[in-house]
Amino acid sequence: MSEFRVPRSALRTLDRRHFLRAGAVSTAVSMSGWMGELALAAEQAKAKPKRSCILLWMNGGPSTIDLWDLKPGHENGGPFKEISTTAPGLKIGEHLPKIAMHGDRLAVLRGMTTKEGDHARGTYLMRTGQLPGAAGIQYPSIGALVSKELGDPRAELPNFLSIAPQRFFAQEAFGPGFLGPVHAPLIVGENQAFNPNAPGTMVDDALKVADLAKPKAIDGTTASVRLDLLREMQEDFAAGRPGQMARSHAAAYDRAIRLMQSDGARIFDLATEPEKTRDKYGRNLFGQGCLLARRLVEKGVPFVEVSLGNWDTHGQNFDQVKNLCGSLDAAWGALMDDLKDRGLLDTTTIVWMGEFGRTPKINQGNGRDHYPNAWSTVLAGGGIKGGQAVGKTSKDGTTVEERPTTTLDMLATLCMALGIDYEKTNPSNVGRPIRIVDKPCNPVTEVVA
Amino acid sequence: MSARLRLVLAVAALAAPPAARAAEVAPAPKADPADTIAAIIDRHLTADWEARGIRPAARTDDAEFARRAYLDLIGRAPRAPETREFIDDANPNKRAALVDRLLTLPGHAGHFAAVTRAAWLPQTTTNFQLANAGVQFENWLRIRYRENTPADEVVRRILTVPFTVNTQNPMFRFVQPTGNDPDATNLVGFYQANEARPENLGSAVSRLFVGVRLECAQCHDHPFARYTREQFWEFAAFFAETSPLPATAPSFVGPLPPQGNKNRITIANTQKQVVAKFFDGTSPEWTDARTPRQELADWLTRPENPYFAQNAVNRMWAHFFGIGILDPVDEPGDNNPPSHPALLDELGRAFVAARFDNRALVRGITRSRAYQLSSKTTHPSQSDPRWFARMSLKGLTPAQLFDSMVAATGHREPGFMRQNQFNFNAQPNNPRSAFLNRFASNEKATEANTTILQALMLMNGQFVTDVTSIEKGEVLGAIAEMPGWDSRQRVTALFLNAFARNPSPEELEKFASYVDRGGTSGDPKKALADVFWVLLNSPEFLFNH
Repeated sequence: MSEFRVPRSALRTLDRRHFLRAGAVSTAVSMSGWMGELALAAEQAKAKPKRSCILLWMNGGPSTIDLWDLKPGHENGGPFKEISTTAPGLKIGEHLPKIAMHGDRLAVLRGMTTKEGDHARGTYLMRTGQLPGAAGIQYPSIGALVSKELGDPRAELPNFLSIAPQRFFAQEAFGPGFLGPVHAPLIVGENQAFNPNAPGTMVDDALKVADLAKPKAIDGTTASVRLDLLREMQEDFAAGRPGQMARSHAAAYDRAIRLMQSDGARIFDLATEPEKTRDKYGRNLFGQGCLLARRLVEKGVPFVEVSLGNWDTHGQNFDQVKNLCGSLDAAWGALMDDLKDRGLLDTTTIVWMGEFGRTPKINQGNGRDHYPNAWSTVLAGGGIKGGQAVGKTSKDGTTVEERPTTTLDMLATLCMALGIDYEKTNPSNVGRPIRIVDKPCNPVTEVVA
Repeated sequence: MSARLRLVLAVAALAAPPAARAAEVAPAPKADPADTIAAIIDRHLTADWEARGIRPAARTDDAEFARRAYLDLIGRAPRAPETREFIDDANPNKRAALVDRLLTLPGHAGHFAAVTRAAWLPQTTTNFQLANAGVQFENWLRIRYRENTPADEVVRRILTVPFTVNTQNPMFRFVQPTGNDPDATNLVGFYQANEARPENLGSAVSRLFVGVRLECAQCHDHPFARYTREQFWEFAAFFAETSPLPATAPSFVGPLPPQGNKNRITIANTQKQVVAKFFDGTSPEWTDARTPRQELADWLTRPENPYFAQNAVNRMWAHFFGIGILDPVDEPGDNNPPSHPALLDELGRAFVAARFDNRALVRGITRSRAYQLSSKTTHPSQSDPRWFARMSLKGLTPAQLFDSMVAATGHREPGFMRQNQFNFNAQPNNPRSAFLNRFASNEKATEANTTILQALMLMNGQFVTDVTSIEKGEVLGAIAEMPGWDSRQRVTALFLNAFARNPSPEELEKFASYVDRGGTSGDPKKALADVFWVLLNSPEFLFNH
């Protein structure tokens, strides 16, 4: 960090107006304030947030009837069998054996019933609790909401990281909405969707933060002076054109600079992990992404999400689900093991979900189609009373018979597990305060520890 | 034209006063539809500002206007000689003249085709299976914009192209052109991108050409607007030929209906069949001679249909203002009324009267007072973007950003790299591909967010590092080494290249003295590089303002 310190002599080369302004404006924007904030951040970094959340986002709509709520003996059940877990009475799909070893920490919500069967709208609904476009309100994603509640605004690392997202259906569903760009996620490993089996080095590179190091030819003093001059240009421009775009530009640069000065680069370098650990998570984007999530949670990052795609199994559902389970089971199982070993499982809540479930009826192509009517999500770890399934679907899996659970119910449950008051409000872009989780919601208190 | 000749001409243009241009202005023989359109806009907005007690922002200066017009019309900021030429031009009608000239450049057709393709077929940017369909469709659009094909004809051509659908692979319906239409290969991309499914095609056509988003009515009645699930499927049924119903045995009761089953569809997850019907509840007089798609195209584009023209006008408006008169542009309804319904209505009529002439619309909008307002706020009453009392800031598309980088820095780009327009994977050693990938976004232009990764790329990335180095940066190197210039001239040249304007006296003083002192290293050339880096990282460069 010291190489960024600006000698007074360098500042003296700037004009008088600069000095007048540096003295007059708030510390958040002047050079000296910027350095001060970093020192403060170093102090604050010691006080880690108590809680973290890892969202395992299953892009495309996972076939939960083959994973969490099997229908053995029914024609809708398909070929998969149930297996026991470490929790008596809780059974899950046979292709998740490692996760089954943590059955006592899992709460399966089998009564999910939601309203959207379209990828974009379903994604927005599950990640914000709302339908897109409603009354012009830009709802924040759950990651942004949690990051605001649990995050330290002065932390070196961003409070919200999104690993390997595939955002093209619903980019806004991954964003900060009315909470503003400060709560936008840092994204790594994006656009790898078409290369799920990339070799290890490609995965490692994809999970690094690109362009994190300043150019070698630019020394620390010059870099600092450049940033200072840039800050003035930003201020001049924003003074006449106030608004979210100029603010977002300034916020992104602030956070980028903070990240450059942290030991962020090392955290994203997975080569520093033992080979055995890396193998355990699976040498693929999702596996290594989960490993990165663990490292980030260890550093106190409050919200990390890791996406696993290709769940849109309209054809050959069972081959594809089995295949995806290989990645999911290894990575999530290893994540549970590691968090437990490090004493972090009690403070880290894991939520597993996609945008909807899939039709119980198997279609002509041996696939399953979109089905929001009756499906499952899973909560695990910190704040969760594990070893149980709450809610029940009919024998054929088509309807919820017990404890119907809406998106808002599920999000409120997650907030309770994280110790967040979901009734708290944030100011919104339409001028009225909006709750973290909107009414009507009825959290599944049975699963909250 | 050789690079050298171009350079000579550019220099000559800088030296000679543009007297010839001023002399070209002749009185228009009859009413230019663009003037009619501009007058409509000015009349409605002026009245509205007065009624609301709004004090609109100042008129843009020439430099800001030129940058805006270049970005909006040809997809990049002007190069320094272009800016200087425009600023120095004494022609009082130079703004209209600039727009007219930009409309004739190949860059205009290219930019509008890219923007339209991204809006109409967004799937082709994100689904690599459809990338080629996107390329072909964009090629076709480029020719349409170059020839200024009327908007109704563009849509009619798309809707009536002959094709067959190969459904052998249930996961990927392959659309094949038929007949002798030489454009058909390019046009079927529209159907391919919509998976050749009636429900996808129905909602795309409704959204893009009627301005009504129907998707949610696919599964249930539309929550806000007045469209029902049944209406959705009735509209989708115009594309029923892509999902033929199982053949029915000939009946002994009466003749077959003229369309057979080509206009009939089963509502998903039900047994109910519906026959194609327009939103207004009317049906075509079905005959064997005309297909459902032809009927739809005619209904859609006939002059009495206000939806078509208003939607086209509103989308064009949103292109230039960043926000539509109806915004979002495809969500009309009681909860989302247009900001200026009478203006939209009258502009729609004017567009019909101008025979759907896109260029007349562009020329009209850009001549309006509202388009020529500064983005700089001077009064609190300008704050709501829906009243168009100042220009909204707009984010740049990834291509606009990179092309503006090229214009500002003199980066020489191999031709094959220029063809790259998709963001699936950043290709190594291809800066355009890297930018398109990193800056890909489907956010609204007026709500574009800068990400940490974008900031890092602009601060530390290889491309910006190269173009801001004295050794590798073409423009920077030339400015730093121009014999006989003092620091003030060099800084001015950097501002013209990056911001398309001259520096303010304050800025000139600050940066020239920084350069004179040699920045942090004692080397004035390195200090110039610092200045250029600062300008390229500034919001003024990164936004359209």
